[in-house]
Amino acid sequence: MKPWCILRAAATVLLVLAVISSAGCWSRREIQEIGFALLIGLDHAAEEGKVMITVHIAKPFSLLAAGAGTAEEKAYWQVSSTGRTVFDAWRNLRQQSPRRPFLHHSRFIVFGEEFARSGIREALDFFYREGEVRETNFVVVAKGAKASEFVWGEYELEPMPSRGALGVIKQVAQELSTIVMVTLNDFLQMMEAEGIEAVASRAEQVWRPPSQDPRGQLKNEVIAVSGRETGAAAFKGDKLAGWLDKVQARGLQWVRGKVRSGILLIEQPGKENKLASIEILRATSTVTPKISEGRPSIQLKVDAVGVIGEVQEYLDPMASEEIWASMERRMAEAIRHEIEAALDIAKHEFNSDIFGFGAAFARRYPKEWDGLKRKWDEEFPKLDVEIEVKTIIRRSGLTRRSMQLVRRKEEV
Amino acid sequence: MSVLEGGKISGRQFMAVLTMVRLVPVTLVFSMVTSASNPQDAWIASIISGVVAIPFAMLIARLSLKFPEKTIIEYSQIILGPVLGKLVGLVFLWFSIQTSVNIIRALGEAYAIAIMPETPIQTFMIMLAIMSCYAARSGLEVLSRLGEDTLFIVGFIFLVACVLPYNAMRLENLLPVLAKGMSSLIPPVVASLGYYSQFIMIGMLVPYLAKPEEATKYAIYAVLISGFLTTAGCVSVVAALGTTANSWTLPLFSLARLISLGEFFERIEAGIMAAWTLSTGIKLALFLWAISVGIAQLFNLKRYEPLVFPLAAVFIPLALVAFESMVDLEDYLSKADAVAAVIIAVAVIALLYVGLGVRSFLFPGKEKYR
Repeated sequence: MKPWCILRAAATVLLVLAVISSAGCWSRREIQEIGFALLIGLDHAAEEGKVMITVHIAKPFSLLAAGAGTAEEKAYWQVSSTGRTVFDAWRNLRQQSPRRPFLHHSRFIVFGEEFARSGIREALDFFYREGEVRETNFVVVAKGAKASEFVWGEYELEPMPSRGALGVIKQVAQELSTIVMVTLNDFLQMMEAEGIEAVASRAEQVWRPPSQDPRGQLKNEVIAVSGRETGAAAFKGDKLAGWLDKVQARGLQWVRGKVRSGILLIEQPGKENKLASIEILRATSTVTPKISEGRPSIQLKVDAVGVIGEVQEYLDPMASEEIWASMERRMAEAIRHEIEAALDIAKHEFNSDIFGFGAAFARRYPKEWDGLKRKWDEEFPKLDVEIEVKTIIRRSGLTRRSMQLVRRKEEV
Repeated sequence: MSVLEGGKISGRQFMAVLTMVRLVPVTLVFSMVTSASNPQDAWIASIISGVVAIPFAMLIARLSLKFPEKTIIEYSQIILGPVLGKLVGLVFLWFSIQTSVNIIRALGEAYAIAIMPETPIQTFMIMLAIMSCYAARSGLEVLSRLGEDTLFIVGFIFLVACVLPYNAMRLENLLPVLAKGMSSLIPPVVASLGYYSQFIMIGMLVPYLAKPEEATKYAIYAVLISGFLTTAGCVSVVAALGTTANSWTLPLFSLARLISLGEFFERIEAGIMAAWTLSTGIKLALFLWAISVGIAQLFNLKRYEPLVFPLAAVFIPLALVAFESMVDLEDYLSKADAVAAVIIAVAVIALLYVGLGVRSFLFPGKEKYR
């Protein structure tokens, strides 16, 4: 045998060995060995200096049963685990779970209020470094509750709390616009960028006293704790600064140009104490930063399109042009009111630039921003925001003139 | 006509393999984004480097066309004489070996970071190397055909990854343009040019083109296609990841993780992994082929195929020991390697052109060297 052939044979054997040793998949995960975590909540643990994570792990067998309509047990398992760091706590979960918990399918990151108030920067790293948590997870802060308590909340129509909460958040974001929907990717960017503070969805716990009314109950089953997702949590740096209620949250969404739909209640022109509901069709916003004589100011333009969805008193838009124009003016006024509510609380209560006005300066005036950013905390509460709202009411639904139902009957 | 390699490739295949040369590992580590102090301007850096790369690619192609039947290893010996010419050939081989080692490690790291953290990195490297060795031993014709087919798949996956996270994208993230001045563009442009300088591989490919006169045209196409894909990647990465863009290890992978269409079309980042694997495989195959042929020509061997497996067997331990960690690799790729690659490529081309000028001055009327 030539030495060349020996070398060749040796190389072949080596390579074959390498192939055999890597046969199958080293990092394989069989589906029956995995517990799919659906959400992850973060709190301070009872012991000083430790964090507690709470996850919901899906029970595939009872989920099948729930589909068949014979659910006897919860479709998920709620479990908490503690550790000095988030990763530590996450690994410690292995002590309790017979299946390997898996975060790839998680939908939410929930922070308890107390935890968020004391700063979340240290906890966040795990979520974008470890790779199991997707950046499309929604960030939620539980108001007045620990995350582990908030996730008790169950929802009708959905067996899984995570799906239930997701459904509510999507409904509210699309139909009411009174919540901010923030993915982890958005949240990290807001945290990292200059001149913008982070916001997240606000979620509250709703306690329902057990009903005493037995009508229609086959089994005496009621959901005692549920969740309500509206509003926004405003951060200052990495610490929770406070809450925006529904009106303020939509005010923020007007500025961010993220209002999808919603109902604006205005007083009907010429009719006292009667309301008209304007359905918002779409809205856009433009934030123009200005610096004149060294003083920064913001010009905010909001364009909104709506339709008349409902009036409480007789309305005939053909009667005079003034009625239509007046309703548009009132709609603009209502929007301005919401924006001012958001501006007011952000400026004077939180001193937190959740609107990203500073970032707008950084984009438009990068050189001036270098000087401005150092004193932005003093400048932001004094910032002049000139709000210009342009509204158009396009249609009035299937009805042009209200039917005169009540009056006719009175006449009879 | 070299007896080592009898294959002939078409202009499109030539373009496809050159595009692959450029696509990895640049889309892996995205040096333009990660090495920049302000990632917003990565797309400008990408365009600038593309514009600079076009004349560079043309110069190499033109030079090779003066010797349409010789590789860079052979004609450098004709131009510069046997000693200096062989030295240039050795530099070229060394440069190619370094590049091969880099991409083996880069792909292995990508696998280990992104999807299989517990699997030893050797697994991915060895499997990649075996795949590429077979392609390289089958000859240039086979691997170029493979490259032509793969380019569509790879290009498609990259474009999908760049377009589909549109939900997360905000174009104002690209502003302000050039906030930190032109000087901040220098590191990303150099990093990007480092990868373009691997187009010196044109020198090995031109003699095997069915129509060598098309070399310049298709080399420019390769710059344009790869430049377009990387620029699109830069824009999407920055639009979707904003200021956090330069904190991700694998920006394109993180970008693909954001894709979520109707809660149905999501978790498709494995596609990115597949595209990286395919393009790295083709690139490694091409480099293994070129290095083997180069060595064979330099040392007057009759066949190049026996060199392929031993070379790969050397590359894997090299790739393992050359870098301590992913941080080490990224740092090397975007700084030292980029600068060295640009210097080597420019020096080799300049030396050959100067040699050519001197020769035509000393021996006028002998410009044809067939």
